[in-house]
Amino acid sequence: MSGTDYSYDEQGQFFPVFIATVVGLVTIPLTYSVLKPSSDPGATAPRIKTDYRPEHADLIDIQRKAQKKKERKLKRIITVIAGWATMAFMAYLIYVTARTVPKLWNPYDILGISDSATEKEIKSHYKRMSLKFHPDKVRPDASKNQTIESLNDYFVELTKAYKALTDEEIRNNYIQFGHPDGKQSFSIGIALPKFIVTDGNGKYVILVYAALLGVLLPYLVGSWWYGTQRMSKEKVLIESANNLFREYEEGIQEGGIVSALSTGLEFQKALKGDKAESGLGKLESRILAEGVSSPLAGGLSVKDRTVLEDLDGGAQRKALGLLWAYFGRVELDDPALNQAKFEVAPIAHALNTSFTAIALAFGTTAPILSSYLTCQNLLQALPPGASPLLQLPSITPAIAKAIEGDSRTHLSLQYYMGLPEAYRKKLSVGKGLLTEVEYQTAMSVAKQLPRLQVEKAFFKVTGEKFIIPSSLVSLVVKGRFIPPGSQNVPEVNELDLEDVDPDEDDLDAILGRKKKAVKGEKAPEEDKIVQPPLAFAPYFARDYSPRWHVFLTDSKQGKIAVPPFTFTTFDKPIYDESGKPTFNMQTLKAQFQAPPQAGHYTFVMHLICDSYVGFDTKMEVTLIVDEPSKAEEIEAEDDISEPDEDRRAPPAKKKKKQAEESSDEESNTEEEADDTSDTNTDTDEE
Amino acid sequence: MFGVDWWGLSVPFAYIGVLIGSLITFSNFYRKRRAAKSANLAPWFPPHMQRNIYLSLLHLDPEEGQEKTPAVPESVIRAALLRRAVEDIHRIIQIRSAKQACSTLLQRGSVGDDLWQRFLRAEKEMEEELRDVVTEANALTPNWGQTIFQSANEIAAGTLLRKKLEDIQAQAPTEKEWWEKRRASIQSDFMKELDAPATATGKSGTDDDAVLVESANGTGSIRKKKGKN
Repeated sequence: MSGTDYSYDEQGQFFPVFIATVVGLVTIPLTYSVLKPSSDPGATAPRIKTDYRPEHADLIDIQRKAQKKKERKLKRIITVIAGWATMAFMAYLIYVTARTVPKLWNPYDILGISDSATEKEIKSHYKRMSLKFHPDKVRPDASKNQTIESLNDYFVELTKAYKALTDEEIRNNYIQFGHPDGKQSFSIGIALPKFIVTDGNGKYVILVYAALLGVLLPYLVGSWWYGTQRMSKEKVLIESANNLFREYEEGIQEGGIVSALSTGLEFQKALKGDKAESGLGKLESRILAEGVSSPLAGGLSVKDRTVLEDLDGGAQRKALGLLWAYFGRVELDDPALNQAKFEVAPIAHALNTSFTAIALAFGTTAPILSSYLTCQNLLQALPPGASPLLQLPSITPAIAKAIEGDSRTHLSLQYYMGLPEAYRKKLSVGKGLLTEVEYQTAMSVAKQLPRLQVEKAFFKVTGEKFIIPSSLVSLVVKGRFIPPGSQNVPEVNELDLEDVDPDEDDLDAILGRKKKAVKGEKAPEEDKIVQPPLAFAPYFARDYSPRWHVFLTDSKQGKIAVPPFTFTTFDKPIYDESGKPTFNMQTLKAQFQAPPQAGHYTFVMHLICDSYVGFDTKMEVTLIVDEPSKAEEIEAEDDISEPDEDRRAPPAKKKKKQAEESSDEESNTEEEADDTSDTNTDTDEE
Repeated sequence: MFGVDWWGLSVPFAYIGVLIGSLITFSNFYRKRRAAKSANLAPWFPPHMQRNIYLSLLHLDPEEGQEKTPAVPESVIRAALLRRAVEDIHRIIQIRSAKQACSTLLQRGSVGDDLWQRFLRAEKEMEEELRDVVTEANALTPNWGQTIFQSANEIAAGTLLRKKLEDIQAQAPTEKEWWEKRRASIQSDFMKELDAPATATGKSGTDDDAVLVESANGTGSIRKKKGKN
């Protein structure tokens, strides 16, 4: 056995295969990531149709385009193209290089007979062949490039083939080693071209190796590690998140949050060098000028003003000034400043997401609500406490004030749109108010806004009549999208308000794999996911898909009881083809664990849309948790026919029974503690 | 015997040596940098002014030209210490409420490790501070250390309450002004109506003070609306 017989890939027949494989390992997944349908909501979601263009729409468009470009992953695309080019080249090389495939020694082929030939046929065939090809019989034909030797060899091959089929020993050799002469020497090929190991090239190869392992690998690992360390989970710089945490206060309000957001390091990046100071004086004089509906044009309160003025100059102060200018929609008369004004809002929005996460960790209701309101304000470019009417196109603070009259509270959009048409028009159209065309535009936008009106909210445990301690409760919110000012809204269909449990054998639905509300009559619902239209936020320089957050709070303690569930898509169409609202009943479900004690729990349910001001719902819901014994009585009366019922029942039901009876008043926070008692109680019940 | 190829043998050893050496240097630099960074972390709380006041009262330097340090009345020192304790209470409340949030956020990766380091240091500092205040209090009056934080807590809570009340009171003038204006406008409206009783006003808004308004088209938009003209 000649083990040291390495052969390098001199003809270059394996090397391209090797390279193509390695490149393919990288390129193919990358190609997938480039080609996969974008998760960006802007690509697929419908839009609210309007031809309204706000002031400086060009500036906003420029920023939207820049953002799209950034998201296009240019580097990745180039890598993919290069990868495919390399692979194509390698494929070409493979195709071109002559393959020297060692042929398998096959006696039938040599003799030229079929594999199924019998021994008799083989013998007769061999006899004929040996007569014909015996070296003594044939003359070498120069024109066919034959010599005595080649003829000789051919005859020897024929004989070998014949023997392999007839002679016992040689046949054994053939079966074992694939060759009648016994074991053949074999060689190990290395799929590297020879020039890599030839003298003189070795040091370069080592150099490349060292560069790969000693420089590139640590660099890649390091950049990945520090990259993950640099950004928080909410995709803001970790230092910004730290600052936001420090800025958090129990009693923080929207204005305070805006001030807190300005501590983000992202602003320092966006307002580098010269930009950090330029135009600061002008900016501040504009936002601190007297406003129409608020004391200051930027919409900031006196307290926010002192915060702004106490800041040292620099990026933070400018960022805060720009934010207030954005909120107040203040004209800054300077292209660079106006550009920066629209630039800060998306940054602040990202930071606000981080702030929301922090507020949720603290769990106090007021700051959480404030941070959601700030999100709405950022999208709609409204200062805290401004009139929701300003969300409509062409309505300025002055017009909003004129419409609202001398009121202390603001008109909500839905109230304004609910006013009789003639009266509303009288309020809004006129000298110094909207023109007829502007009014029509505003109305058309208002009638497209997705306002989710809650029709019913209740608690239930899937498949059970009662809610017992520690069971997995679903909060079911039934609501319809009723845009403000909708006419002829149909009555609520009582059937729609019920939440029918999925069939017993419908495992998908039970496990909640698909959010599918099965209706009494029309069970086969199309489970297409419906995206709401992109937020109508003409001043916000990003495409944004609205989100709805549902959460429960405890009003007595001012703490959050069930953290938010976020909904971005719905199960039924919101608008039909012509853009008219369908008023379909939408179902939102949020699951959480019931309290470990029986009793009546009153929560405040908040349903917040993070894109529109004034569309929030706040209502009281009562969760009635019954003693587990009550549920069991019912079950006994029902005479249990399906054994599955027990298995699907809330997990803690059975095991709780004993614990409850023995120690009712005890506050046992660990519901899972007595898992072991599950099995034995299960049996002695029936 | 075999001839040992020393040169050939040295290569793998050199390789291992270089490898381990570079790893050690890297880890050294990395640790030093981290230590320097954590030493430079900004403190959690701003300078403790009340403590500084107390300490400077305790260690007053003699004024120029005089040999004796000015005598500080005992009551002033005690008041300063109490103030210091009040400030400590504020800080403790902050730390207590932030601790859980900070650790969950750190686990989730929403805030950085730096913040947690700073937080832990602040916590440790506060412990020291509390102990210091107790010993100081005991030195001033025997057994005062056991009660000083109770009184400080009361003071802190009282201040907080008073501040909230003041905030609410501060809104009174503007509210009053608005209601005066509103009353005037309602009065003038009434006068107008009395003057022209024949023409029925089409204003729908004046009568809906604190009334649940069901919007005309039955969308069920319910809103408590006050004072709409």
